[in-house]
Amino acid sequence: MPYLEMKGITRLYENGLRANDAVDFSVEENEIHAIVGENGAGKTTLMNILYGLTRSDSGTIILDAARVSIRNPQDANRLGIGMVHQHFKLIPDFTVAENVVLGIEPVRARLFVDRAAAKANILEIVSRHGFSIDPDASVRDLTVGQMQQVEILKMLYRDSKLLILDEPTSVLTEQEIEKLFGTLRSLKKGGRTCVIITHKLQEVLEISDRLTVMRKGRVVAVRRTAEIADRAELARLMVGRDVLYPLVRMEKKRGRPILELKDVTLTQRGRGQPLLDRINLTVHSGEIIGVAGVSGNGLGELEDVVSGLRRISSGQIFHNGHDVSFLDTGKLREGGMAYVPANRLRRGASLHASVMENLIVSNHHRFLRAGFLRNNKIFEYSMELIKSFGIHGKPRVQIGTLSGGNIQKAILARELTSTADMVVVCEPTWGLDVESSQFVYEKIFSMRAAGAGVLFISSALDEILGIADSIMVLYRGKMVAFLANGRIVRDNQHQSRQLKEYIGEYMLGLRDDFASVGTEKKETQP
Amino acid sequence: MKGKKKPGDFLASLTGLAITLLIAFGLVVALILILSKTPGKMIYYFFLGPFTNTYYLGNMLNAAVPLVFSGLGMAVAFKSSVFNLGGEGQVYAGGLAVTLVCLGLPSANGFLGGLLAVMAALLLGGGIAGLSGFFKVKWNVDEMISSFLISSIVLLVVNYFITGPLDDPGNNMLASLPLAHQYNLMKLFSPSKLNLSALFAIAASALTFLFMSRSHIGYEMRMCGLNREFSRYGGIKVSRYLVLPMIIGGALHGLGGGLMVLGTYQVLYKGFSFGMGWNGIAVALIARNNPLGVVPAALLFAYLDAGAKAAMLNGDITFEIASIAQSIIFFFITAQILSDLARKTRRVK
Repeated sequence: MPYLEMKGITRLYENGLRANDAVDFSVEENEIHAIVGENGAGKTTLMNILYGLTRSDSGTIILDAARVSIRNPQDANRLGIGMVHQHFKLIPDFTVAENVVLGIEPVRARLFVDRAAAKANILEIVSRHGFSIDPDASVRDLTVGQMQQVEILKMLYRDSKLLILDEPTSVLTEQEIEKLFGTLRSLKKGGRTCVIITHKLQEVLEISDRLTVMRKGRVVAVRRTAEIADRAELARLMVGRDVLYPLVRMEKKRGRPILELKDVTLTQRGRGQPLLDRINLTVHSGEIIGVAGVSGNGLGELEDVVSGLRRISSGQIFHNGHDVSFLDTGKLREGGMAYVPANRLRRGASLHASVMENLIVSNHHRFLRAGFLRNNKIFEYSMELIKSFGIHGKPRVQIGTLSGGNIQKAILARELTSTADMVVVCEPTWGLDVESSQFVYEKIFSMRAAGAGVLFISSALDEILGIADSIMVLYRGKMVAFLANGRIVRDNQHQSRQLKEYIGEYMLGLRDDFASVGTEKKETQP
Repeated sequence: MKGKKKPGDFLASLTGLAITLLIAFGLVVALILILSKTPGKMIYYFFLGPFTNTYYLGNMLNAAVPLVFSGLGMAVAFKSSVFNLGGEGQVYAGGLAVTLVCLGLPSANGFLGGLLAVMAALLLGGGIAGLSGFFKVKWNVDEMISSFLISSIVLLVVNYFITGPLDDPGNNMLASLPLAHQYNLMKLFSPSKLNLSALFAIAASALTFLFMSRSHIGYEMRMCGLNREFSRYGGIKVSRYLVLPMIIGGALHGLGGGLMVLGTYQVLYKGFSFGMGWNGIAVALIARNNPLGVVPAALLFAYLDAGAKAAMLNGDITFEIASIAQSIIFFFITAQILSDLARKTRRVK
């Protein structure tokens, strides 16, 4: 008798899409169960139904041998079900403790929040699970990994027996992922049951006991993880056919300089440590420079200054030899910049606007006649992009109704079809499945082939190792390593594991033996 | 354009609104039954009073005209996520602008002088509101507060003009000298006060709709209203759209006030536009910031007001009871609209 059983779950979206189509899903007590599948496969929808965020049109849920009805997250919490969402639901200005107890605060004299009791309780959980967070710290000051711990803490505080984690590793670094897995294992040992939604194949194989594969709203396979031979087999189950894996790469010759950063520094009032500290970097035509780093070490700031959304404090930025240090994003775009932001839901897309309106934000001037937008042309253009990027959605629907992966595809469609020669791409495949990621890489390669210089900022080291021609590592706002093209090609073929660890040491600040701009000659030696 | 709504959605929300209205009307009827000695008559006047003769009907339609303008002004600002709480002052200033131009040109051609007067109202209203937008961009002053405070000053300044330099010594009322006859807008429904400005209001509604949903500036303005970070990222000059919606909204308010003077009063009364700014917010809310919805919303508003007035004139319903009855209806409409909006947002997630 399984611990949780969902039977015949069907969920129709208003556009007629079957997000879940008669899904049967079951979880054994005290296992780590992975739900894998491509974007829009219906994984998150299924879990949202279980957590009471979405209602199902039909189907039953049986928990612990009793039929239950879950109409809202409060119901789910009462039944011992907790969920950590892909996008954290925390209040940045509150402390860790305040966030954790929010909604079920221990009270004193029926009126006051008993902070001492809350803190004691939380400290106990923190030490039991080896978390590294201070209950009094503001959530604003935490790293992403720590925020996730707070989310898990919230569930433990509510004593959830079944923990659902939606894409828990997508925002974490290698080390943080290791830590998360450690936590999950200790939770399992403590008798809890975990469901994780993911599409990172290696992780599925590493952490899960059993897995359910979903495709297009249906369950296509349920397996014991031990029975799966390798990633390729899992990828086949997910996509339904063989996919290219891993990426092939060759040595590159580079062209003229496209984007140059000279001593770029960004300081913030009241902060001793600069956010960006004298960054020198040149991106040439026909090359992809990967920027690696642990979040909080200047990746986001580099993104902001290069895209013109934040003014640098000193230094200069050149685009094709012109000083663009103080131009805004609009001017930079006119000069030929394409930019895929890391924050897709706030910056990259306007969720309440339609897909059409989102697709033309950077180039709607092309569709003008006498001050008015030519909606027919825009519609045609949108249909083209939707088709060529395989976006599941229609031009006139609100983009916020699409799945995360499809929103990202729309952003990529807008940015990567331009004729820009300076391309800034941040975390482009965050939350995308294998096939979509492959497609994104191909688009980036084709822009490179057309002569663009690509700055590729990502916290996923695998991805950077997979596609970047040269790699720069940021640690505490400083460039601590630069690995030029030839080096990577040589190493990557034979000892990618070793190279990865080597870069990882720089990302974590364990090595600090690099002083100036890396060229082929001056590059760092292990 | 929030994507194309399916006709089913639209119908559902319309039925919802109708049911809400029925419940609210029911409560009003109950209220009158309890409080009036002649309830049948009062109910008749409250609901049908505005339709009993052309005079009432015309006046009711005329009362909707300035509400359309201020409702449009608010809708434009709200769609752009800027908040203009200075409507009162902007409408009032529009009246002053028209009066100043017309009194300054006592013998000009009616059409050209009138056109000039209307332009002045647009400029003054837009300028006053634009100031708040400018302060916002320049010093990050909250436009909600600055527009309200500036409006309070403007009200006093206009009062100064009415009771000072423009005062009509031959009249005991707190009003300016009357405008010359050639400036009177054509009447549509004599003897009621309905005039040409009603057609302008309908045209303004259609033009505002076209502007907001189809024009380049309207698109950028809406995008800024929905998500400023996204707009800046897309290369839109966001600071421009903190100022422009204020100017356009203020200009529409000013126009409404100016047309009230030209069409309805032909003289600048002290407090002639009292409440028009605030009521514009309610109208925009009922219309869900859709410029095409503003006309019916303003009509509903004017209808309830005319009904309450008719009931007061013809029986024992006091001003207070009429106000309570109106409030009940607005309470229900607002609740209905807010819950609709909430449902929509939930769906988006």
